[in-house]
Amino acid sequence: MSGDLERALSKLRFDDQVIGYSLMTKGGRPFVSFSFPDDLFPRVKESISLYKTDLRLMTIDTDKGLVVLAPVDDNWILTVLYVPELQLGLAIAKTKNVLRMLEGIELPPPPEEFEEAVESNLEVLESIAMQAASTAAEAAPTVEEPAPAPAQEAEELSPEDFVVTSDTVPKKGEAYATALSLDSDLYDEMRKAYRNFGFDILMLVDGRSTVAAIADAMFQPVVKVAEVLKWAASKRIVELPRAGEAAAEGVTKKPSRFVKCPRFEGDLSKVKPDHLAVVRLCDGTRTTEQIAEAAGIPAPRVIHIVALYRKHGMKMIGKTI
Amino acid sequence: MARIENPLLLSIYGQLVDKILAETQNIEEANERLRELGRTMAEQIYLTTDIVEKTKDEVLTREDVAKLVEVVFRVLFDRKPTEIDMETARGSVRVSDSNCVWCQDVNLEGMPGFGYCEVFSGILEAILKYKGVDARVFEETCRATGGVTCSWNVRLV
Repeated sequence: MSGDLERALSKLRFDDQVIGYSLMTKGGRPFVSFSFPDDLFPRVKESISLYKTDLRLMTIDTDKGLVVLAPVDDNWILTVLYVPELQLGLAIAKTKNVLRMLEGIELPPPPEEFEEAVESNLEVLESIAMQAASTAAEAAPTVEEPAPAPAQEAEELSPEDFVVTSDTVPKKGEAYATALSLDSDLYDEMRKAYRNFGFDILMLVDGRSTVAAIADAMFQPVVKVAEVLKWAASKRIVELPRAGEAAAEGVTKKPSRFVKCPRFEGDLSKVKPDHLAVVRLCDGTRTTEQIAEAAGIPAPRVIHIVALYRKHGMKMIGKTI
Repeated sequence: MARIENPLLLSIYGQLVDKILAETQNIEEANERLRELGRTMAEQIYLTTDIVEKTKDEVLTREDVAKLVEVVFRVLFDRKPTEIDMETARGSVRVSDSNCVWCQDVNLEGMPGFGYCEVFSGILEAILKYKGVDARVFEETCRATGGVTCSWNVRLV
C-alpha cells in the first residue's frame, strides 16, 4: 500500500512544475504534505467544506500558483499546487495521472489523532494498513513487486525492432510495474536516459490511448514520445507491434493518402452554366475523381474545367485522408 | 516554367527513372511506368500553367494537335519543338526535339527500346485527353539510347 502511495506522491515531488502537495482528510486537515505553503491550507479547507461530499476535481487559482483538488476516495483528498505558468489542462491531466496510480490502493481512514502535515505520517498510515492486513487472514504477496522476468533467457530486443506510428496503442508490458518502482534499476536507467519524461509517458499508457493521444496530452511531439516508447518496448516495459507484425498489419490497415482537392473561392455568377455543376462541387473536400463521379462526367473533363477557373478563384488544397 | 538546363529538376527526374528501372522487369514495363508518371504529372501541369487558356477549347484536327503540342513546348520549355511532322505517318503526329530536356547528358548502352523521356509521352497523352482527344503517345527514338533526336509519336485513336 504505502509503496504505491509513496510512488504516486514521489511522482509529484520530482515534477518540476509541482510546487508542493498535500494528502488531506475529507475534513480538510493536511495529513502528509510536501512543500505545500501553510497559508494556503485555510483557503483549501474552506473550498473543501463548501463542497463537502460533492467535491469532484476542483481548481483554485492562487497567487502562489494553481491548486488542484482531487478526491482519492471517501476519506482522502489530494491537493497539488502547480507553478502559476502551467496550463490548466496540463495541471488537471497531471493530477489525474497520479489519481490513476492511486486507483486500487486501499488507503486506511486517517487516525483520530495526528500531527498535521508531517511527512512521517506516511509511516503511520502504513502501520495502520499493516495492522488491518494482519487481522485479515494471510497477507497477500506484495503486488507491487512482479516476479522478475526471465530477461536473461528471453531474446535481446532493441528499440529498432519496434514500429510506432501515431495510431499505435501501446500496452503495459511485463516489466511495467518494475519500471515505475522508484527503487528499481530499470527506473534508474529510464531516469538517466529520459529524466521524468519516461515516467510521465508510462503513466499515460493504459492500453487504450494511442501514441498521438499520449503525445497530445503531454504537449510533446509524437516522435519524441515514440522514441521513449520504443526504448520501453525493448525493455518489455510496454508492448508495441514488432517491425514484421506492423508490416503485416499494414496490409489490412489502409494507410493515409495524400490527395489534392479543388476549392472554388471565386464568384459563382461568373461561371459558365455548363461548368456550374462541376464548380459547385469544388469545395475542397473532394478530389477531381470524386467530383467526376458525383457529376457523372469523365475525370479528364473535370480537370479541364477546374483548370479553366485557376485564375478566377480555383485553388488546389492538398491534404491527407 | 522549366529552364532547359536545370540540373536540379534533371536530377529529380533522373532519380525517378533510376527507381523505376530498378523496380521493373523489362524495358516495356519501365516505359509504361514512365508514361504513367507523366500522366499523373500532367494534371498538375494543366492546373498550374496557361496551357488551358492558350489552346482552343476543341481540338479536332491534327493541325489542332500540332498547335497544342507547340503550346505545351512553349509553356514547359520556352521554345518550339524541332519538328512537328504530320505527313509521314497517317493518323499520327510526330514530334521531335533535338535538344530534349529530359535526357540531357544521359548516355545509355545496351538498352534499345527504352524511352528515357517517356514521361513526356504521358504528359502529352493526358493533356490531349483533357482537351477531349483520345490519343496514344509513345517515344520512338531517344537521344539517351543513341538517337539523333528524341521523337514522340502521337497516334490519334
